Amino acid sequence: MNPLIRDSTAIAKKDLKQLSRDPLSLALTIMFPILLISMFTVISGAFRDSHAVPVVIADLDESAQSKMFIDELSVSKLIRVAQLVQTEERALETVKAGEAIGSVVIPKDFGNKLLNARAAFVVLQTDNSKVTASFTVIRAVADRSRELLNKLNAQFNIRLVSVDVVPRPVSGRPPNGDFILPGYLGLITILGAFDDAVNAITRERERGTYTRLVLTPMNLLSIYGGKMAAALVINAMRTSFVLMIFVLSGLVIQGNILLVFLITSLISMFTLSLSMMISSRIRSSATLTIMEIAITFPLFQLSGAFSAPEILPAGGRAISRALPWTWGNEALRRIMYLGLDLNAISADILVLAISIMIFLPLATLLSKRTM
Amino acid sequence: MSRLKVLRDILAVMTNEFGVFRRNRSAIVISLVVIPFFFTASLGAGQGGAGTTFRPTAALPIAFVDNDLSVASGRLYETLVRSEMFNRLIQGYREDNALAALGKGSIYAAVVVPKGFQDRLMANQPGTIIVYVDDGAPGVGNAVLSAVNATVQTYNPTTEIPTSTYVEVEGFSTIQIVQKGARFSGFALGLTITMSLVIVFATFYEIAGGMSREREEGTYARLLISPISLGAIMIGKTLYDLGLNIVRAIVVLGMAIYVYGARPNTDFVTLLAITVLISLLTMGFGLLISSLGVGVRAVVIIEFFLILFLFAFSGFILDKELMKGIPQIIATYLPWSYGIEIFKRTVLLGAPLLSLTFQLQFVGLSIVLFYVLSYFLLKLARERLVG
Repeated sequence: MNPLIRDSTAIAKKDLKQLSRDPLSLALTIMFPILLISMFTVISGAFRDSHAVPVVIADLDESAQSKMFIDELSVSKLIRVAQLVQTEERALETVKAGEAIGSVVIPKDFGNKLLNARAAFVVLQTDNSKVTASFTVIRAVADRSRELLNKLNAQFNIRLVSVDVVPRPVSGRPPNGDFILPGYLGLITILGAFDDAVNAITRERERGTYTRLVLTPMNLLSIYGGKMAAALVINAMRTSFVLMIFVLSGLVIQGNILLVFLITSLISMFTLSLSMMISSRIRSSATLTIMEIAITFPLFQLSGAFSAPEILPAGGRAISRALPWTWGNEALRRIMYLGLDLNAISADILVLAISIMIFLPLATLLSKRTM
Repeated sequence: MSRLKVLRDILAVMTNEFGVFRRNRSAIVISLVVIPFFFTASLGAGQGGAGTTFRPTAALPIAFVDNDLSVASGRLYETLVRSEMFNRLIQGYREDNALAALGKGSIYAAVVVPKGFQDRLMANQPGTIIVYVDDGAPGVGNAVLSAVNATVQTYNPTTEIPTSTYVEVEGFSTIQIVQKGARFSGFALGLTITMSLVIVFATFYEIAGGMSREREEGTYARLLISPISLGAIMIGKTLYDLGLNIVRAIVVLGMAIYVYGARPNTDFVTLLAITVLISLLTMGFGLLISSLGVGVRAVVIIEFFLILFLFAFSGFILDKELMKGIPQIIATYLPWSYGIEIFKRTVLLGAPLLSLTFQLQFVGLSIVLFYVLSYFLLKLARERLVG
């Protein structure tokens, strides 16, 4: 047998055996995806089933049409009419004081304008320091305005210009499914690989066994190759586990499942290479973990896990595109949701493979230098 | 004399902490440079500068498929283009070609105007357009649909396209929504949370991680049984970390103001006061965790989940007002979310710090609770050691 493969296999076996003997690390490796998915599920649940946002209304018109508008706003599931106030000033004060997120002021002549084919308006004050809540208020008022116009059209045949937008998503995911599930898998892979690297290199260094390992007749590439092989086995277990949770929660994976494993393996290999490189400079496992967590949180935004690079500003888009993780996350999404084949994700695979080929030798070189 | 001794002890603990910190080069780099820089720069990369109005769909390639080929559909195209929300609206796609291209990265949505669009409008019926979106790309579907919905509000098929966004659509009954209230860029909104995250992230590790490391190295027991009082140890560590947090806050604010053009709506003293409050809160929690006797690894794991909680339940992703059930309970009792609210209301809305009495009380009480609890737990640990 080729000595490189033989030595790498021996190292991989050693690392896996070591992990099986360390119950805390083993539990963390298994529990980590569960904890993370539970957290993400709670967060997603908050998005799907959100609370109605409080608004106040000042009806200065007091016409039949303004009352119809108040009724429309009252039936909205997105907002809750907390109070009816008498003046515009009081409405604005309520928002300023933080008692409501939005105030709707219906000015005089509102109803008259609507019945006479003219543009009526409402004044909407929102607390824009609360971005999602204020956006919800704006959306609810716009939706209910459209609804009011349709009702007035049916009742009084008023002239209106209305365009209904019919959304049609193209992915295979169920309409209520989460659009970020492949992103979860990508992030769990990245975080898991960071932790695997800490286990494989830094803790070994802290135990003092790393120096002995390096002093054996094995070459450094075999050692790193073996450690990577062990990490890939753990990654495959983690991926299977996450996919099982996804499938049990109703997700239908549209594409080839082997491609999912291929991509998570490549993401894991790249992350390990980078982590090995960093670990050649930072020797303490706790410091390295903190450093990696510090890197991970910006990745939520920039690695395409939760928002596509295309909807980021120019600078962010460039950074996002330069990160190999973004390509991996994109490939996962294309396989899992759109059912695309190897051809469609070949560019993503190429970017990941080239990145590994750059970072792995660099990590080996830096480790040699610091010995 | 005894008061002087306490002060001397506090100073000794503080000097010792600074000495240890000064000797650890990677800790200095991570704590004072990497963490503030990474978080602020990634906010800038994700949201753009503070003065810029960023439209997420502006640079997104979107197909415009016109099956009606009428004056009304032509004007719809012009309305979309002039809104500045769709700078890459591509004509020339057939519906089937556009659908086949979706999901492959060349286009991210297709706006289809079906046959009979103009006829329906002329018959005083709502016109319908279909928007196909690549909802496999996260956030794209919502961004495109929100932008299309907002733009069609200003659509008028009978007159020339106006150049301003506020229009009176003549001859039709419409309801325009005049929006009031200060508007903030994504960067300005994110800055308040980024400041808090940077403080919490670094502080928790410095306090809880530092004490756990001391315990693992064996110096913690020696410190506890030394003649220095427990209060002096806690205050010394607190003052040391407050110093670091002020430096970190200055780094984040400096970057935000001079690189990204942020203009906080409050004075520097208020910003520092809020920084101190959030720092004390986190230090109290850090002391409490370390008094439970956990190891460095456990501290790191707790830190990860603490930050994840802050991301999820402090209004960064979703406002507290929208939450229901478990998320709402967590957001209500998470004291840091009140700290972030104080940041938002002062930095963004310019509210005076002392007007936020409820939030200040909640944070203040939490600080006292954390410190008192950790004091008693540490005292117990000391008694066990001495005994």
